[in-house]
Amino acid sequence: MTLLDVRDLSVRYEPKASRPLDAVQGVSFSIEPGEFVGLIGESGSGKTTLGTALLRLLQRPGRISGGSIQFNGTDITDLQEDELRALRWRDLSTVFQSSMNSLNPVVRVEAQFRDAIEQHSSLRGEAVTRRIRELFDMVIIDPKFMTAFPHELSGGMRQRVNLALALALDPKFILLDEPTTGLDVVVQHSILENVRRLQAEQGFAVLFISHDIGTVLDLSDRILVMYAGRIVEDQSAGALLREPLHPYTKGLLGSYGDPRDETVKITYVPGRPPDLSRTMVGCRFAPRCPERIQVCLEHDPPLVPLNGGRVACHVAVLQRGEDGAENFGEPKRGFEGPQFVKTADESRSALAGEVVLSVENVSKVFEQRRGFTVTRTEAVSNVSFELRRGEVTALVGQSGSGKSTLAKMITGVETPTEGRIVFHGPDGDKLVSGFKGRALRAYRSDVQMVFQDPYSSINPAKRLGYVLSRPLVNYQGLKGEELRERVKELLERVALTPAERFINRYGYELSGGQRQRVIIAKALAVEPEIIVADEPISSLDVSIRAEILELLNDLVKENDVGILYITHDLLSARMLSDEVIVLNGGKVVEKGATLGVIRDPKDDYTRSLLDAIPNPF
Amino acid sequence: MTYFARKLGFFLATLWAVVTLNFLIPRLQPGDPAEIMVKRLAGKDAALDQAQVEAMRAMLGTPTDSLWHQYVSYLTELVHGNFGLSYTYYPFPVTEVIGQAFWWTVVLVTIAQVLSFVGGVVLGAYAAWRRNSRLDSVVTLGSTFLGTLQPFWIGLLLLYVFGYSLGWFPTSGGYEEATPGWNWQFIQEAVSHSFLPALALLIVTPIGWILGMRNTMIMNLGEDYIRLAKAKGLPDRDVALKYAARNALLPSVTGFALALGGVLGGAILVETVFDYPGLGRLMGEAVEQKDYPLLQALMLLTTVGVLVANLAADLLYGVLDPRARRAEG
Repeated sequence: MTLLDVRDLSVRYEPKASRPLDAVQGVSFSIEPGEFVGLIGESGSGKTTLGTALLRLLQRPGRISGGSIQFNGTDITDLQEDELRALRWRDLSTVFQSSMNSLNPVVRVEAQFRDAIEQHSSLRGEAVTRRIRELFDMVIIDPKFMTAFPHELSGGMRQRVNLALALALDPKFILLDEPTTGLDVVVQHSILENVRRLQAEQGFAVLFISHDIGTVLDLSDRILVMYAGRIVEDQSAGALLREPLHPYTKGLLGSYGDPRDETVKITYVPGRPPDLSRTMVGCRFAPRCPERIQVCLEHDPPLVPLNGGRVACHVAVLQRGEDGAENFGEPKRGFEGPQFVKTADESRSALAGEVVLSVENVSKVFEQRRGFTVTRTEAVSNVSFELRRGEVTALVGQSGSGKSTLAKMITGVETPTEGRIVFHGPDGDKLVSGFKGRALRAYRSDVQMVFQDPYSSINPAKRLGYVLSRPLVNYQGLKGEELRERVKELLERVALTPAERFINRYGYELSGGQRQRVIIAKALAVEPEIIVADEPISSLDVSIRAEILELLNDLVKENDVGILYITHDLLSARMLSDEVIVLNGGKVVEKGATLGVIRDPKDDYTRSLLDAIPNPF
Repeated sequence: MTYFARKLGFFLATLWAVVTLNFLIPRLQPGDPAEIMVKRLAGKDAALDQAQVEAMRAMLGTPTDSLWHQYVSYLTELVHGNFGLSYTYYPFPVTEVIGQAFWWTVVLVTIAQVLSFVGGVVLGAYAAWRRNSRLDSVVTLGSTFLGTLQPFWIGLLLLYVFGYSLGWFPTSGGYEEATPGWNWQFIQEAVSHSFLPALALLIVTPIGWILGMRNTMIMNLGEDYIRLAKAKGLPDRDVALKYAARNALLPSVTGFALALGGVLGGAILVETVFDYPGLGRLMGEAVEQKDYPLLQALMLLTTVGVLVANLAADLLYGVLDPRARRAEG
């Protein structure tokens, strides 16, 4: 019997202040007992809303506005909370996205297992403790941590504890909502392995929500692709990889490349998802679709069976129909959109450039004073490398590896404890140490930063024209017509065209990718020699990451700047950088031309980072 | 345990600093206190009579030793609870004067604070749990309105209505004819005299707790651990109390301990309005009469009260929030 059967489910948000919005629209799918189903889509596609609706945890102003959810033969769509409670956790459990906040911070971990277990089973006292110990063993955590408070556990451990908690009552179904987002790649990898193994052993069904098609393909039996509140494709993982039906799926797949190739190509989906509070004619993906034909703009494609799966695409159906190939062309495997290409040759020539920054045997020790005791932590230890003009050096490592400390020293915020950093600027060499006031300001016109989170780095109260004019006024003293021209130039430089359309808009009106472009434009305003980019794409949707990588790559080539690219992700390091430095525990464990390091890693740590990259190919 | 030891250490260090400042500040003031006293008694323009000054010195006691010796003897007297004689209530020692007012204030203000806190927190938590319900609107709007009023003003209103117009409660003092002590008549009189001042405090004081608790709790209700508790199928009561309210209570606890520290300062305005024989009124008098020994002792009492409350808040917070223990410990 089907375990979960969702029919025409719709979820509507009706906020008081704005137009109602249908976040999930007529979604139908089913999950069999023991099946591992992936659900992918970019942010705003409605995947988390759908998951929350399945658990009947929607909160006002959201509500289920249509359709039904059958769980194990019971209709739970309108079930009263009292009746639902009997089902919760015993049959349906979940692991939420943020491992940081899903445990009660003031209660010991054990008690948070105990309340759920005692609520739903007849186990009491010692028997509960035994069960918790068993669960800890399952997720490979020492049971001594049972009595710990959540803050005493690392992010990875916390998420393992959450997983153990979800398994506490042998549920039939577990919803995993981005369970590893925000964790280090290596940790992420081992947790997901653990999930898959436990799922195979215990046979619960899983709906795994993620924005990362790589991990979804790695783990799932079947995959649902969601776009703008609807399921646009439903296929087994193998078939989806072999023959993706929907162009959006092709776009998502195109955002992956094999980092070992001599030439890596990744595509991106231009534009942004539609505003769901407005009515639309035709296919929702049509405005971003390279394969669209006339009918796509006129009729909304229904989700229909095709090739053993389901797809909502006119073109896919027509091409595979009678005489389809003749009339509508052969089905395409790839996404024929803009793409970003990186060849190994480019890197070879880039590494011959002129050195703009040298880091020589740099160490940084932090002293923490607590009463009369001083703890010394060596965050960075004896690191040396050079950054060249027209070249990108990637600094790769997981959190705590010292990469951020190194970035702070290079940007003149912190002073190295030992060794030195020399900036070879247009006005001669300059020793970089913790600058303050005017000196820091002067250094900022040579070295700029691009941060991880484009959502909080733009003043929300100011128009883009103003945001971009500030550095120009401050550093170059431009004004009037000249200033305006330069702002427009910058917007066009980062492909926010036509500039007139963007100059009077606010940061929050833009998509994540567009915002990150504004941040880059801001960094470019002072015509820096070096840009330090700290995880500039990790908060962006996969489908648009490549466009930012491409922009950064163009800057390197055309403006002859050097970029220090800080990341935990070797795949994006391969796409952008010419040289890679792998940091572990503050030390350089491996250094060399990016392709060389990726093809032939010498260090175990580099190898574990590489293994952690989901590789569906 | 280091957390608690450290907090205690800080407490002792601050206590020492407060006591020392209390000693030093009056000595840094220019002029001879005896001369000033005589001048004030004789009038501004009168010539200074050295005999009177000598007499005053003899009465007050003149420090002749070095500052260090004075400090040591100050500490000794302090330990023995000797604060000197009050000017206003001469020749009663300050300790006795304060001792009489002490319990009036402590009982009144403590009861008012505790009731306000408990009532406020419960009401705030309930309003947050049922947010946007009618009860929530009434509580929130009502609090915002009452919050703009001052306790002494409400006190005046209560006095007028229940004291003068209706005559249900006495309008001033702490008791009438009874002998203070554990006898029924005295307790009855004390309660009826304290009722209106307590009510004046109880109308306004809970508002801060209500709004504070409601806001923190609403914020906490959006946290993932609340969603997870609901997904776990726990009864609403458990989710509301053990998960939401338990966390939302943390900031209020600190605030409450601090508020209790303020108890020793008394509710000056309310006590004055009701002519209530507590510390607040006493402090008002001491300021007015320039009764330095009394004022100094009251100041010391208030600061020590705040310090002790601070310590209690820190220790309690350490117990309630395991994160605080680690973050600093």
